[in-house]
Amino acid sequence: MEPIMVGKNLSKEYQMGEVTVAALKDANFELYEGELLVILGPSGSGKSTLLNIIGGMDNASGGELFYQGVPLHQADAKQLTLYRRNDVGFVFQFYNLMPNLTAKENIHLAAQISKDPLPIDELLQKVGLADRADHFPSQLSGGEQQRIALARALAKNPTMLLCDEPTGALDSQTSVQVLKLLKESCRDFGKTAVIITHNTAIAEIADRVFYLKDGTIDRIERNSEPVSPEKVTW
Amino acid sequence: MLWKKTWRDIKENKGAYIACIIIIIIGLMVFSAFSMVIDNLKLSQKNFYSNQNFADGFIKVRSMPMSEVKKLQNIDGIKSIQGRLVKDARVLFPNRDENVYLRLVSLPSTQNSSLINGVDLLQGIPLNSKEMNVWVDNKFYDANKIEINQQIDVIAQGAKKSLRVVGYGRSPEFIYALRTSSDLFPNPETFGIAFLPYDVMKALFSYQEVANNVVFTLEPGASYKDVEELLKPKLKTYGLEAIYPRKDQVSHMLLSEELKGLEAAAQGMPILFLSIAGVILYIMLKRMVEQQRGQIGILKAFGYTEREVLGHYLSYALVLGVAGGLLGGLSGIALSYPFTSMYQLFFNMPGLNGQFSPRYLLLGLMLSIIFSLFAGYQGSKKILTLEPAEAMRPPAPPIGRKIWLEKVRFFWSILTAQGKMAVRNMARNKGRSAFIFVGIMFTFAILAFTWSMNDLIKVMLFDQYQKVETYDVKVTLSAPSNQKSAEGELYNFPGVKRVEPMAEVPATLKNKWLKKDVAILGIQEDSLLYNIMDKDYNKVAPPTNGLLLSERLARLLNAHVGTRLHLTDRLSQDEDNTELEVVGIIPQYLGVNAYMEIGALQESLGYKGFTTSYMISINPENISALQNKYRESAVIAGVDDLGKRLRQSQELMASFGSMIYIYALIGIIIGFAIIYNSSIITLSERSHELASMRVLGMTPREVLSVITFEQWFIGVLGMIGGIPLSKAFLVGISQSMSNDVYTMPTNLTSSSFVMAFLVTALSIWIAQQMAAQKIKRLNLADTLKARE
Repeated sequence: MEPIMVGKNLSKEYQMGEVTVAALKDANFELYEGELLVILGPSGSGKSTLLNIIGGMDNASGGELFYQGVPLHQADAKQLTLYRRNDVGFVFQFYNLMPNLTAKENIHLAAQISKDPLPIDELLQKVGLADRADHFPSQLSGGEQQRIALARALAKNPTMLLCDEPTGALDSQTSVQVLKLLKESCRDFGKTAVIITHNTAIAEIADRVFYLKDGTIDRIERNSEPVSPEKVTW
Repeated sequence: MLWKKTWRDIKENKGAYIACIIIIIIGLMVFSAFSMVIDNLKLSQKNFYSNQNFADGFIKVRSMPMSEVKKLQNIDGIKSIQGRLVKDARVLFPNRDENVYLRLVSLPSTQNSSLINGVDLLQGIPLNSKEMNVWVDNKFYDANKIEINQQIDVIAQGAKKSLRVVGYGRSPEFIYALRTSSDLFPNPETFGIAFLPYDVMKALFSYQEVANNVVFTLEPGASYKDVEELLKPKLKTYGLEAIYPRKDQVSHMLLSEELKGLEAAAQGMPILFLSIAGVILYIMLKRMVEQQRGQIGILKAFGYTEREVLGHYLSYALVLGVAGGLLGGLSGIALSYPFTSMYQLFFNMPGLNGQFSPRYLLLGLMLSIIFSLFAGYQGSKKILTLEPAEAMRPPAPPIGRKIWLEKVRFFWSILTAQGKMAVRNMARNKGRSAFIFVGIMFTFAILAFTWSMNDLIKVMLFDQYQKVETYDVKVTLSAPSNQKSAEGELYNFPGVKRVEPMAEVPATLKNKWLKKDVAILGIQEDSLLYNIMDKDYNKVAPPTNGLLLSERLARLLNAHVGTRLHLTDRLSQDEDNTELEVVGIIPQYLGVNAYMEIGALQESLGYKGFTTSYMISINPENISALQNKYRESAVIAGVDDLGKRLRQSQELMASFGSMIYIYALIGIIIGFAIIYNSSIITLSERSHELASMRVLGMTPREVLSVITFEQWFIGVLGMIGGIPLSKAFLVGISQSMSNDVYTMPTNLTSSSFVMAFLVTALSIWIAQQMAAQKIKRLNLADTLKARE
C-alpha cells in the first residue's frame, strides 16, 4: 500500500533565549490511509512537535515531508492553510470550541469551509448528541464537548484526524466513548487517525505505535491485534 | 521593577497607546491654543476699549446741529456725548481701476482724554484743524503701502480733494472693519478708515455746524434702554436713522461672536476628545487586568499591597495622561502663535501677540491626568476585589447565550457561522459595542458636519453672487434720485446690455412689540439681475401687494405668511405708518432684508421714481471704462464690480478649505483609534477562538471577518446615528453663529454624507488591516495548548 504521508529526516529546533532546543531529531516515518496511529511518549519527547508538523501548524527546521507526493516542507503559509482546510481535522485536549456558537453551529463553522463536507445532522447522530445540537459549549460536559470537537473535525471530511491528547481532560468512561468514536470514524469514513498521548494504555487500540523519546522516534511497532477501546484497562 | 513592566507592556501594544495619546493631544491642543487666543483677544479688547473710551451707544441722524448734540449731555445716564460727521468717500489711487473707499470719520478739533472712540495713533503727528490732513487706519496704510506725508485723492461732493496722510492708527470702533453688511471679511486694500479734524470734514462736504453721527458713553450703572427712550424723542426732528447699543455695533458684534465660538470650542472639544481617550483607556486597562490576573495573583501572593498593584496599573494611565497632556499643551502653545497671527489679520487691535503661557500647559496637563487616572481607576479597580488564590485561577469561561436577534429568523438564517459569532459577541459586550457605536457616530458627525460647513459657506457666498445677484456692476447713487434720467444715461454707455433700478429703503418693521431695522429692497417684478429664490431655487417675483421677508427676519419678527407688519420709513420719519402683509418667506444667507416690487414700494412710501442704485449687465471689457467715467462724479457714490467680489470670496474660501483636511484627519484618527483598539482587545480576548479557526483551515482574512463583521455592523449603525448628530451640530452652530450679517443654512449636503461615509469607512478599514497583521502572527500551537 502507498503511504499518504512520508517524513524523511525531519527535525525541529526552537530558539529559547540563547539556547537552541532540538525538539525533534531525524524523524523518519510513513502514514497509511485508514490506519489508527498512536504516538506515545513522556512530556518533552517531541510528540506535539511532530503532530504540529504533520498537521501543517508548524514548519520543520530540516528534512522533508510529503503529503500525497506534495512537498509540505516547501509550502508557504497560504498552502499550509489550504492543506489544513482540506485534508486535516484537529481534536484538542481542551476542545477549543467557540463559546458563543451552539454545538451545531460549531460543526457548521467547519463544514462551511469544506468543499465536500459531511452532513452535520448525521455527524450529530454519530456522536450521539443530536438532542443537544442547540446547546452552547458551556452547557455541555467535557465528554460532550470533545465529541462535538470530533464531529467538527470530521465535518470537513478530511483525510487525516490529528488528536492531541483527546482524552487528557476526560474521565476513563468518557475517554472510552471518545476513543470508540474515533476508531469507528476511522473505519466508517476511511480516515487516518493520529492520536498523541502519554497514556500507554491507549496504545493497545492502535494499528501502529510510534514510541518517542528525547525528540527521536525510538521505535515503531505494529499491533497484530488492536483491542477495542472498551477492553482497554485504564 | 514594575515600571519596567509598564514600559514593556506599552511598547508591546504601542499602536493602541499612540492612538490614545494622539486623541488626548488633539483635545488639549485645541484647549490650550484656543484658551490662550481667547485670553489674548479678551485682554486686548478690554484694554483697547477702555484706553480709547469706546462708545456704549451709536446714533445715526440725517443732520443735527452740534449745539443740540451738546444739550443731550444733560440726559440722565449719559456720561459723555459727541457729535461727528461720518461719510464714505471714494479714493483715487493712480493706476488702480478697482473701487477703493475710505470711511471719513471726524474727530473733535479739541482733543482731550474724554474723547469717545479715540484713535490709538501708532505713528505720526497730531492733526491740524486748519490743514487738509488725515490719519488713516494702520491696515489700510500697510495694505496700500502708503507713506507718511503722502497725498491721497478722494472724491468729495463730486470734486477731487487731496488729503495729506500725517499718521496712522486704529480705533476700537473698527477692529473688524466692514464697508457694507454684505461683506464677510475686512479687505483693507479696498476699504479703510480715515480720521480727520471736524473742521476739515465740514469744509470738505460743505456742512454747517452739524453732526450726522453721534456716539455716547454711559454713566456706570446706567441702562442703555432707558437712555435710548429718553434720547429718541429728542432726535426725531433731526431725522433719526438708527440708534443702537454697543452690542449691535458690527465690529464689536463680530468680535464677540468669534469669542463665543472660540469659547465653545475650547470647552467642548477637549471634553469630547478626553472622553473618547478615557473610554479607550478604560477598556484597555480592564482587558489587561483580566488578562494579567495570574500576574496580579502572584504579585499579591508575594505580599504586594492592593494599593501597590493598583498603582502599577494606574501607572499606564499616568504615562498616557502625562505624555498626552505635555505634548498636547506644548503643541497647543505652538499652535497659538500662528493662530494669533491669523486673528491679527482680521482683527485690528493692539496687544494681539502670541505668548507662552505656562498656565494652560499646567491646566491641560492636570485635565489630562485627571481624566486618564479616572478612566484608569475605573478600568482596573477590579484588582481590589481579587483574592490572590482566585486571581491565579483562570477566569470562568465565557458563556454563550442566545440573543433576541435570533428570533428574527430571516436575518439569522442568512448569517454565516462567523456572522453568528460576531452578532452574539456584540450582545455579550454591550458596553464595548455601545462605545464603538458612539465613537463611530462622532467620527461620522465630525466629518459630515465639517464638510457641510464647507459646502454651506460656499452656498452662503456663491448663491448670493452667482444666483441671486447676477448683475455685473452695481452703480450706487450718492443720494436717492429719480429713476428715469440716470437709467437712460447708463443704458447708452457702450457695452451695457441691461439696466435695472433698485430702491433700498431703510425702514423699521414692527410686529406687535417686535421690531427690526432693515433695508427694504425694491426690485423690478421681471428682474433678471436680482433673482429672489425660494428654498428649491425657484425664482420668486418681488410682490406688489406685500412684503417678502428673509427667514431670519421672519423669525426675529415672529412673522408668518399673512402677518401684517407695521412699517416706518426711516427716511421721512413720518408717523403716518404703512401696514403691509407678509406674502412670502425666503432664505437669505447674507444680510437681512425685506423685498417688494419697486413700483409698489415707491408708491406705498410716496416716493415716485425713488432709486438708490442701478444694477447693470455689461460686457466685462467695458467695466473699467464705466468705473473711470463715474469715478469723479458727484451723483455716483460707487461702481461695484461683482466679479471682483466673487473672486475675492473664492480666494478666501480656498484658504478655508485647508481646514477641512485637518478636521478630516482628526476624524480619521478618532475612527482609527477606536477600531484599532477594539480589534486589538478582541484579538487578545479571543485568541483561542481565532487560533482554532486558523487551525480549522481558515485564512487570516476569514478569521478577521468575525471581528470585521462586528465592526462593520456597529459601524454602519453608528454612521446612520451620525446623521442626526451632524444635523444637531449644524443647527447648534448655525444658531450660535447667525447674526444680521450672515445666516448659516442648516441643510446637510448629500456630498458631505458621501464624504463622511467614505472617510469613516476608510479609517475602519485601515485599522482592520493593521489588526489583520496581528492575526497572521498568531502562534497557533502555543495559543491552543494553553487552557482557556
